[in-house]
Amino acid sequence: MSKKYTSRINRRDSLKWLGSMTSVVVIGGVVVACDAPDQPIPEIKEGSHWPDLTFDPITGPKYGQDPDMLNPTTPWPRTLTNEQLDIVARLCDIICPEDEGGPSATAVGVPEVIDEWVSAPYKDQQSDRVLILNGLQWLDDEASRRFGGLFINLSEAEQLEIIDDIAYEKQLDVAEFEHATMFFAKLRTLVLGGYFTSPEGMRDIGYMGNTPIMGDYPGPTAEAMAHLNDIITNLPA
Amino acid sequence: MATFDGFEYDVIIVGSGAGGGMSAHILTEAGIKVLMLEAGRDYDPVEETPMFNENHEAPLRGESTSDKDFGYYDGTVDGGWSVPGEPYTTADGTEFLWWRARMLGGRTNHFGRYVPRFNDRDFKPFSHDGLGVDWPIDYDEIQPWYDKCEKIVGVSGNNPGIYDVPDSGEGVLQPHAQPRVYELLVEAACEKLGLPIVPMRRAVLTRAIDEREACFNATHCGRGCSIGAAFQTTTSVIPWAKNTGNIKVVTDAMVKEVHLNEDGKASGVTFVDRKTKQDVRVDADIVILAASACETARLMLNSKSERFPNGLANSSGQVGRNLMDSTGADINGHIPALKGRPRYNEDGLAGNHLYIPWWDYEGQDSGTVNFKRGYHLEIGGGFGAPDMGLGGSADGYGKSAKQMVRDNYGSNIGFALRGEMVVNDDCYCEIDPNVKDKWGIPVLRFHWKWSEEEINQVAHGLEWGEKLIKAMGGYVTSPKRTPEEAILAGGQIIHEVGTTRMGDDPKTSVTNKWGQTWDVDNLYIMDGGVFASNPHKNCTITILTLAMRNATRLAEQIKGAAS
Repeated sequence: MSKKYTSRINRRDSLKWLGSMTSVVVIGGVVVACDAPDQPIPEIKEGSHWPDLTFDPITGPKYGQDPDMLNPTTPWPRTLTNEQLDIVARLCDIICPEDEGGPSATAVGVPEVIDEWVSAPYKDQQSDRVLILNGLQWLDDEASRRFGGLFINLSEAEQLEIIDDIAYEKQLDVAEFEHATMFFAKLRTLVLGGYFTSPEGMRDIGYMGNTPIMGDYPGPTAEAMAHLNDIITNLPA
Repeated sequence: MATFDGFEYDVIIVGSGAGGGMSAHILTEAGIKVLMLEAGRDYDPVEETPMFNENHEAPLRGESTSDKDFGYYDGTVDGGWSVPGEPYTTADGTEFLWWRARMLGGRTNHFGRYVPRFNDRDFKPFSHDGLGVDWPIDYDEIQPWYDKCEKIVGVSGNNPGIYDVPDSGEGVLQPHAQPRVYELLVEAACEKLGLPIVPMRRAVLTRAIDEREACFNATHCGRGCSIGAAFQTTTSVIPWAKNTGNIKVVTDAMVKEVHLNEDGKASGVTFVDRKTKQDVRVDADIVILAASACETARLMLNSKSERFPNGLANSSGQVGRNLMDSTGADINGHIPALKGRPRYNEDGLAGNHLYIPWWDYEGQDSGTVNFKRGYHLEIGGGFGAPDMGLGGSADGYGKSAKQMVRDNYGSNIGFALRGEMVVNDDCYCEIDPNVKDKWGIPVLRFHWKWSEEEINQVAHGLEWGEKLIKAMGGYVTSPKRTPEEAILAGGQIIHEVGTTRMGDDPKTSVTNKWGQTWDVDNLYIMDGGVFASNPHKNCTITILTLAMRNATRLAEQIKGAAS
């Protein structure tokens, strides 16, 4: 009899941890992105068809502990195939389309960010790579099962029918879609993170820092203070 | 007088961080010649700090990796939780992390610049609660030195009139920065709950002094600061020491042994030249160790002689013992009322403008709280530079998912507990008998165990963190954890001290109150190793202050002996 792995955290927490990937904490004033603990991959349940492919570890060059921070470079080669990049680009458009606030993730180069990420020789990224490459394969398997073709060749409506089954936290409770939902949550985090860290995304989200203010820090604007005072007035008793 | 590479000197200083840097400044100003040995490479923040570089320019959007544990732009060079070829080990069941930086200026190049000073009680903990030991000095003795030190370091803050936050002297502090929206909301919650909240003392200039500029309210201090606004030894005390002409700084010099002569005095050290891999022996009249609490203890334990078979100046057996870090635990919350709030620039001085100091001394004395030592809460939140974590706040896909990220931006507030641990017999470092680093130097093995004091303190802090989050109308987003699960690993707060503590009794301490070792009178320790306790207040300003005071006395003695 095989022992089943029982995680200390429930699956809702598990998705949150997976999705949040990094949690911002402050250590001695240094904002630190803390690695989430290793993500337990649940067993594959009946009715699910998660590919569960394994991959050789990436051993490409790292940037080391003394990189040129003023002129950053990324030394490892990219590993996604053109076919995989095509699906990633399609998913970037689905997850983060152009809207009133800004362009699509694809328009700002996020597929390359994903390629850089899953090709990186670091532990967390390699673990993400396993989840993401399996997820891309799952999409093709599911597309073939439902519609008899590769995901990239499906109509938008067909693609979204599949995505609707794996895009929401609640789908973790559906055995058939559990792994695919974990995959999608990870990819969504990376795609939206990649978008909002791009120059266009930073503008979109309204980040106004990283610009010198000579003299004393001016503090909140009148508008920001008015908004705060309204919150304080209505704080719970 | 000894000579190295044509340079004549009296004193060797091992290390160039807070303790070594300040000692060098004081001694060279007094006209004393110093040879400074730094294990890491030379480093110049003016040339090297990635001011204004954005996350999208960095590999993996600047996220942390095993090469750069605090993210790509963190100022640490050749270091972090691990240094290739230079391991440390832990005893079975021990979780301990040791942050090192192999660079001129050491960890001062990236620290948070949080510089709260100790109060009278912090120096006499045993007298108050019967745990641990008292320091051989009291606040009144150190108070004028804090003033002098804060003045030259450049500290912004105020005197809020709170017992946990002793006043600085008149004219010492620079103006503090205005709080941001999320800090003001925490302030309102504190008011409701009856907690104090005050400006954080920061080693960040808000007014230019000497050649250093005032902070221009951008670029995180953790990267280092090319304009000198955030204090680090590489833009202040080390250049000042160099300006006197009385110092020679040798980098890539990893000291492996301190030598003892027949008279029982320290006669010099041997270092490995990391570039040539050759051992180099240098003499000195006086040796100052300031390599960091644990690295100094390692060096002493590795310096064995007939007189000191258990390590140099270790007749007490206390070298490596009494290791302390700060306790750490985090609790984060989401505050729906902050969703979609009006944007403005919240960079400020980076890090905290406000924090919650320890408030319940009364409860400790009357026994209404079940732990003896205090903590403070640092506040996280705000419109930080967007990072990859932002994407985690969405569900679904498409425009609605994109909008969720925008709405949630700046609406999370977290509290980081930083507390005092009580010194205990289970926390120490020793030489691992089986493991050497790539230079052939035996490495440290750490032992660690929290006591009920720390666990109860963390439970209290998590409880108050949750109260604060709820008082702001929010809910906790951190997973539910017991205090044992929530407490961070030993060493993780990077406030390790105590391994060569000072005291009044040579049997239970390594140095006297001047940082002079009891056993070897020309051997001094000027780093955090001399701490007799580890108050919840971040240790750097006290390391700097003690080094300033003790180096001043040493300079007087050297000059007195010479005249």
